[in-house]
Amino acid sequence: MIVGRPMSRIDGFAKVTGRARYAADQQVRGVLHAYLVMSTVARGRITAVNTAGAEAAPGVIAVFTHLNMPRLTVPAPTHGFFKRYLPMQSPDVHHQGQPVALVVARTLEEAQHAATLVEVAYDARRPQSRLEEVMNEAFVPPPGSDGPNELTRGDVAAGMAQAQVRLEAAFHTPIHHHNPIEPSATQAIWDGDRLTVFESTQSLMNTRHSLSQAFGIPLENVRVLSPFLGGGFGAKGPVWPHTILTAAVARRLRRPVKLVLSRAHTYTSNGHRAETVQSLRLGARRDGRITALEHIVTQQVSRTEQTQFNSSEPTRMLYAIPNLRSVQRVARLDLPAQSFMRSPEAVTAHALECTLDELAYELDLDPIEVRLRNHADVNPEDGRPWGSKYLRECYRIGAERFGWSRRDPRPGSMRDGDMLVGWGMATAAHTAGGRPGSGVTVTLGTDGKATVRSATQDIGTGTYTVMTQIAADVLGLPVYDVSFQLGDSDFPEAYTSGASATVPTVGSGVNLAGTRALERLMALATAAGPLQGLPAARVAAADGYLFDREQPRRRVSHRAVLRAHGRPIEVTLTPPAAPLGYSTGATFAEVRIDPRTGRVHVSRIVGVFDPGRVLNRKTLRSQAIGGAIWAIGFTLSEHTLVDPATARIVNANLSGYLVPVNADVPHIDVSFIDKPDPASAALGARGFGETPMTGVTAAIANAVFHATGRRIRTLPITQDRLL
Amino acid sequence: MPLLWVKLHGMTQDGPTRRDVLKAGATAAAITPVLTQPVLAGAAAPSGAITLLVNGERHQVEVEARVTLLDALRERLALTGTKKGCDRGECGACTVLADGKRIKSCLTLAVMQEGREITTIEGLAEGDELHPMQAAFLKHDAFQCGICTPGQIMSAVACVAEGHAGSDQEVRDWMSGNLCRCSCYPNIVDAIREAAGR
Repeated sequence: MIVGRPMSRIDGFAKVTGRARYAADQQVRGVLHAYLVMSTVARGRITAVNTAGAEAAPGVIAVFTHLNMPRLTVPAPTHGFFKRYLPMQSPDVHHQGQPVALVVARTLEEAQHAATLVEVAYDARRPQSRLEEVMNEAFVPPPGSDGPNELTRGDVAAGMAQAQVRLEAAFHTPIHHHNPIEPSATQAIWDGDRLTVFESTQSLMNTRHSLSQAFGIPLENVRVLSPFLGGGFGAKGPVWPHTILTAAVARRLRRPVKLVLSRAHTYTSNGHRAETVQSLRLGARRDGRITALEHIVTQQVSRTEQTQFNSSEPTRMLYAIPNLRSVQRVARLDLPAQSFMRSPEAVTAHALECTLDELAYELDLDPIEVRLRNHADVNPEDGRPWGSKYLRECYRIGAERFGWSRRDPRPGSMRDGDMLVGWGMATAAHTAGGRPGSGVTVTLGTDGKATVRSATQDIGTGTYTVMTQIAADVLGLPVYDVSFQLGDSDFPEAYTSGASATVPTVGSGVNLAGTRALERLMALATAAGPLQGLPAARVAAADGYLFDREQPRRRVSHRAVLRAHGRPIEVTLTPPAAPLGYSTGATFAEVRIDPRTGRVHVSRIVGVFDPGRVLNRKTLRSQAIGGAIWAIGFTLSEHTLVDPATARIVNANLSGYLVPVNADVPHIDVSFIDKPDPASAALGARGFGETPMTGVTAAIANAVFHATGRRIRTLPITQDRLL
Repeated sequence: MPLLWVKLHGMTQDGPTRRDVLKAGATAAAITPVLTQPVLAGAAAPSGAITLLVNGERHQVEVEARVTLLDALRERLALTGTKKGCDRGECGACTVLADGKRIKSCLTLAVMQEGREITTIEGLAEGDELHPMQAAFLKHDAFQCGICTPGQIMSAVACVAEGHAGSDQEVRDWMSGNLCRCSCYPNIVDAIREAAGR
């Protein structure tokens, strides 16, 4: 089997040599450089613009504002254009950092400099950016694609009445930014009515549809290329205005145009994880069984959109809670559009998992025991069995690997010299799949080699590698005879790289198309030659040969069959929608806290996960490590700060917004159950990328409580909050 | 010629010499945030041909004094292996070696690097034979999306050469100027420790 091997990344050579060409790296002859000018006010109207200085600056080709930007159609939100307006189509300003002018020049330096010369006057109104001040304006938005925004199961009042212990807690999580190290980039090239864009995107599909709609040109006239992507984490899943504006000015100027966002621009151009205020009421019996839970989440949306990403799945799916009320509310602020960001469920899971830790203390039970007593044996959403779920094993193995039995649960009881030591745990869980299938073409050439194509993306998760492994296994070919190609919208349309859906949606497509192609190859092989007359069931494929299962030496190579056939075999299909998977795990964290400074250092993390079958241990482990480190940032250091007077982000950079650095990260012990999920159409694998960040956030916060006796329910747990 | 620059640097009306450009560039690095706009408004920035020695090759390149080494590499020499993540020295994606020392190429002007031996990620492998650090990154899966990887590898090569790879903790501390948002830090540490011959 090739699936399961810890193969190094197929695209690794290109990445370690600098040969991988990302969107901004593509060499386009005669390309002009664009740079954005952003609004300095958050709410109001542009009353005057003066572009004379910029236009006179050396090298400037054109300066666009709302007065002369070509008129564009706002694409539908169904393909990821969530904003309900395009900037530079009217004088209205809806948030600070909205594009108000776009300068095009011969060189990047000329464009950047001229951008500083554009003068914009505003009629500005006082903005509102404080969520706590608009809580009374919050409302439940219409249902979206991520489940109900309001759900009642059973009878919460009756459940609370049955409870012997009742807890109430309020949590606050801040604005987060994805901060992929590659800022979004677009290079737009027109040829008459045909548009080609090099785009840093998690969704060729979304980008293609949105551009087609914006310009009113047929879908087939738009080609989007993104063979490499420098991180996205959700920022590049939707389509954002800068992509469309770049293409618009390239069309007007009849020249290719390149736009790369500055780091500061990305803070208002790519969405963010919205600030939330959460309240929980939880009732339980003394044996630890939860009788009722009410979990109300209020989060920011913009003034112009109400698109909201429901992150309440942990509340609804993680535990068997008989009486439940889950509410997702939103409140409008004068901030940029919020959007999805890696592990949206982390926000609610954090509050729930911290509250369970409080319950464990209240009941004097081990936190693992509390979770076991509320284990969801079936999906609480519909009462149907899981494809597979090995969460109990995750708890057991994780506890062993961490040494959990040696924990003294009393807060402040464990020390290492002067340092306070805390141990905490939490459950990790995230949905995966449940999305439309992705199109795949498998071509078996007359040289006996396979080319597999899909308009999917590799956002660093290892798509190139694991899809090659799946194809090689299914087709019975060595890995080096399989070429998996992605990042080109001319390939069959694939779903967005998000929602942990790539393995379920593309993996199932590669599996199915590969199986069909092999069936056709076997039909040819059993019609003539060494395998003539064998029933298909007796024929197997491996290492580039088809052979008789009962006499493996009776065989013929793929190449020989295809050469005799004289033309390639090609299968294109889109598999059925991938089933909604649920990948769970158990996470454990150790923190060391300096009582004099309040500095929290995570000194150990253990994670045991059930991702279904492991397709590639090496790339999967990296995803798990990445998720855990994202949790360190989420819990201890990351927050986007907004000045309430101006609604401006004050730390739109990487020195004021603190993502974890190498020195923040300890050894991380990751292991997998590695048993196939029979419900999966991707060789037993589930989606997994977003599971590992959930859980670890609460494990760290619970460890902070264990170390200090302080329950910090506002994130991030910065030093000032502990002192 | 902007008047203030002439006053500061004594340039003549005939245009700057290469040395003047170098001096102007060096000063501009320090004063850019304050003076870029008023000084350069409406006037062509000083430019001239310089020779950059990159990966053992001499490149004659026409650059304005304000062009960073990073943008000279990426936009003039098509050496796009060096990445731009923040353009202000925070992320480390643009790390290259100058005379063997690691520098952030977004924080230095191209004109300041004339005469130095610049090594970028493209200059590390011998043909298709990977440098041991590149091979170790590949083996240990010390990257995911790969955008920070050229900077990480250049920084790692220097980290070992500096003698700062003696322990896991030392590597963590001395590699903390290179951000990895995919967060492969433990794998980066493993790769560097192996390449350093642990």
